[in-house]
Order: sequence, then structure tokens, then C-alpha cells
Amino acid sequence: MWRASSTLTCCPNENQTASQSGEPAMTQSNAVSATGGMAKAPSFAASLGDFFYQRRWSWGSVFIGLALWEFISRVIVGSKLFLAAPTQVVYALVDLSGSGEMGKHVWTSTLEFLLGYGVACVLGVALGFVMASSKAGKQALQPWVAGLYATPTVALAPLFILWFGIGILSKVVVVAVLVIFPVTINTETGLRATPTQLVETVRAFGASSRQIFFKVSLPSALPFIFAGFRLGIGRGLIGVVVAELFGARAGLGQLISQSAETFNMPNLFAGVTVLAAAGIAMTGGFAWLEEKLLPWRD
Amino acid sequence: MSDAPVKLSVANLSKRFGSLEVLQDITTQISSGEFISIVGPSGCGKTTFLRIIGGLEQASLGDAHLDGRRIEGPGADRGFVFQQDNLLPWRDILSNTEIGPEINGALSPEQRANTLRLLKLVGLEGFENYYPRQLSGGMRQRVNLARALAVDPALLLMDEPFSALDAQTREIMQTELSRIWEEGRKTVLFVTHQIDEAVYLSDRIFVFARRPGRINEIIDIDLPRPRPLSIKRTPRFVEYVDYIWKLIEEDVRVSVLQEHTG
Ligand SMILES: Nc1ncnc2c1ncn2[C@@H]1O[C@H](COP(=O)(O)OP(=O)(O)O)[C@@H](O)[C@H]1O
Ligand SMILES: [Mg+2]
Repeated sequence: MWRASSTLTCCPNENQTASQSGEPAMTQSNAVSATGGMAKAPSFAASLGDFFYQRRWSWGSVFIGLALWEFISRVIVGSKLFLAAPTQVVYALVDLSGSGEMGKHVWTSTLEFLLGYGVACVLGVALGFVMASSKAGKQALQPWVAGLYATPTVALAPLFILWFGIGILSKVVVVAVLVIFPVTINTETGLRATPTQLVETVRAFGASSRQIFFKVSLPSALPFIFAGFRLGIGRGLIGVVVAELFGARAGLGQLISQSAETFNMPNLFAGVTVLAAAGIAMTGGFAWLEEKLLPWRD
Repeated sequence: MSDAPVKLSVANLSKRFGSLEVLQDITTQISSGEFISIVGPSGCGKTTFLRIIGGLEQASLGDAHLDGRRIEGPGADRGFVFQQDNLLPWRDILSNTEIGPEINGALSPEQRANTLRLLKLVGLEGFENYYPRQLSGGMRQRVNLARALAVDPALLLMDEPFSALDAQTREIMQTELSRIWEEGRKTVLFVTHQIDEAVYLSDRIFVFARRPGRINEIIDIDLPRPRPLSIKRTPRFVEYVDYIWKLIEEDVRVSVLQEHTG
């Protein structure tokens, strides 16, 4: 480490003191937060209690909301034809799951979502790359991307069903159309935002343009690209449901529209509940994934 | 000058940006193992000169040869230490330091050992797995230096590497650089606007004049090595600083005035 030098006429600042002792003292807060939960292991019950206590206002608010809903639907509305109570929704969920019907709907919707979303992410990144790296590409694509992103393309769902039938293909297309634009725009923005000094730095070591792309531009754009993926989740879910509403053999949107036609409110709400859970889980899972994959961000 | 072989040879090098003549007819030779500083008023083309030697910019006229080979572009035979540390925020300190060998396909267990040795040399042992944002400005500049040394360059190019640091950290970095240089005796081209920094570190100082940028005078610094920081208070040292300051004073005045009046 530091040579103990008699020539040091001034006091070294704190950071140097830290490195002098060979201990990364200045960054200790970071190191601790990285291993945060492992410092001591509290009992499971205690940590569960803590989990509820820390968020007591959220739990309370949710509980009161559900209770109000139960009260309104059973006492004030009083008819399952107009509004299902939370307990009735739970029964419906159990029933639908037991009969395997829910499984069928969830499987269909999941497949449509994953295919459309996957295709859109791959194509979106590719388009964004073309727009960021070629002036002609940018000029040619820009009007379409900007125009179609601003258009509520979900309104085209009936058209896609006309073209591609009531099978899963039409839904995959709707999802892909909704997801692709935020991914494209974010990829382009992210690649363009690459700091030029970082590019210069690796160029000074003799990096090829391919190396510059993979070692600098792409990693630097990743937070933007991920934000695009995250935006795409909500839009993709809307796409699945709306496309299924306009005509499908199975899927959560089909369950919802069919339940609405037969005034089966518990089933309708069961479908909505599953969708809400899927949205929350995917957005949360994504935040977790970003944390894992981009640990260098603040 | 020493009798060491010529490391860098610059011949009639000129550079224009459009109608702006930034460098005019620079000819000089630098011996192996020399520590050369370039001082001069801001805008006189110091950065441009370094970038041309680094291969990041093309000369308009003339050329430069490193170890007898004409400089055509960037390469791992030069290590560039930029004014900003320019560390890649998504890489930890170890892989930031190793990016030069990585780009040149030279990663190996021996290289890894060398990288660890360099991090130790710049006082960052134990920080290999930290991210740049977890380090102070001074520590990041050390990584910047270690990264340039990791390609084992024939020539080290440094563009005001300490200018973003506070005065105390800066003085410490000067002693550190001096110590590191004495261990490896690399050939160094060091740009600074701080005259005492140049005198403290250098064997020779190129004083640039502006509009167009050219070498006005070359000063041999005849001070014994190793140099303790206290040498900065000796009469010889102060004489050197005064002399160089007088050389560029007028130029600096003009350049400051121009900056303020546009
Ligand atoms: N890429 C460029 N295009 C046009 N002018 C430039 C460029 N780079 C530098 N210059 C100009 O060249 C002159 C010298 O710049 P520079 O080498 O950065 O000076 P120094 O590092 O000595 O302050 C300045 O007037 C600057 O505006
Ligand atoms: Mg400069």
C-alpha cells in the first residue's frame, strides 16, 4: 500500500487514511447494505411479524377496502348479477381452478403474452439498434415508430382478429404491436445516450466498432432497454385481454367477456384478479431482475 | 536529454480544424524512459497533440513515430490516462483495469496477476470487486492510471489527470505517480496547467505557445531523484517555476482575456 513517506507535508484526507490501513472503510456502508439481511438471522415468525408491522398502513387500507367492498356488494347491492363480493370471488377462483378451467385460460393467455412479448423485445431492440446506428434507418423508421407509438393501436385488435383468426396468432400480433414501440424507442435513446468519453476510452485501447458496441454502447443502454421492457409488461397485458375480448376460444379475456355475457360476476372478478396478480408479480419480478442484472446502478 | 534510444519522434506535425490552425510544425524527439510535461495556456493544443500521438486524431501534416513505427491509429502500445477517469460504471475495478488486455485478446492468468500487482501499486489492493461509484475521485484516478499501465504501454499519455482532484489529493497523487514512474521508468507525456506539478515530475518540460500551438521552449529540469514533496520549497525549484511562468504569462493573459470577452 502506501509508502510511509516523510515527505507527506499535509494530512491525507479520509479516503487515503482508509486505504492506508488496507480496509475499504469509506465504502463500508455499501458493503453492509449488500449483505443487509444476513447480518443476523431473526426467527421466521419475528420477521413475518415485522413484515406486517412495517407495512401496517398498507395492510390496514387493503383490509378495510375489501371489507367495504364485501359490505357494499352483500348489503347495499345485494345481487351477484351486478357485483361479486371478495369472498364470492375467492370461491369462484377455487372452483375454476379445481375444474381445470382457470388453468386452461391462464395457459392460453400466458402463451400469447410470452410469444408476443418475446418477439417484440427482440425486434424492438433490433429496430432501436438500426435507428441509433444508421441515419437512413433513423429517418425511414422514425415516422412509423413515433406515429404508431402515439396511436392507441389496441383499437386495431378487431382488425388483427379479422386477419389472423380467433386463434392465438392474432393475440400474439396485438401484444407484439403494443410492446415493440416502447422497447424500440428506449433502445434507441439508450444507445444514443452512450457517453462519448467512454467510447473514446476503449477506442484508445484499439477497440473495434464491434467491441465498442458490446463493451460500451450496449451495457450503457441496458437500463434504458430494461425500462422499455418494463413499460411493455403493462401494455402487453392490456393487449392480451383486449384482443381476447374481441374473439377467442380461451384465455383470461375470453373468461371475462363470457362471464360478463352470462352475468357471472364472481367468475369475471376471478379473471380480473388473476390478471392483476400477474401484472403485480411481473412488474415486481422485473424490478428484482434489474437489481440482479444491473447492480452497478445507484 | 539522455543517451537512451529514441522512443517517440515527431516530425513537422501540424493540425488544423477547418480554418483554425491548432498545431504548427511540431518537431521533437523523446528518449526512452523520459518523463516529459507539456504546459501552456488553455487552448494552445495540448490535448490535441496528445490525441494525435494517441491515434485518436489524425495530423493534418507531418507524422509521429513510436519505436520506429508510424502512428496510424490507437493501439495498446500507448496507454491513455484521460482528464476524467472514464471508468465503465457497470464493471468492477478489476475488470475496468483489465479492459485494455481484454480488448487486445491478452487476458491470461499472468495478465491477471499483473493487474492485481498494478492495483496494489496504485494503492487499491482489496478494492478489486468494488464498483466505480463506490470510490472517491482520487481512487478512481488511480484506477484510470492502473488501467493505462495494464497494457504495458511503450508510451504513457496523461492529459491533466489530476485537475479534477482537490489540492491535497493532488499533491499525494503527484508523489505516487513519481514513485510509480521510478519503479517502471515508462516514457511519459504528461499535460498539465500546473507549473509546479510539471517541474516536480519531469525530466524535461515543453512550453507551448498559442495561436498557433507550437513548442516555444524546452526546459531541462535538473533536480535529483527521488524527489520528496519538500523539494517544492527549494530555491532551485521555485526558480524553475518562476522562469516557466514568465514564459507563458503573456500568453495566459491573452487567453484568459479572450475567454472572458469571447
Ligand atoms: N474536434 C475539434 N474541432 C474543432 N476545434 C477543436 C477540436 N478540438 C479542439 N479544437 C480547438 O483546438 C484548440 C486547442 O484545443 P485543445 O487541444 O483542447 O487545447 P488545450 O488542451 O491546450 O486546452 C481550441 O481552440 C479548441 O477549441
Ligand atoms: Mg486540454
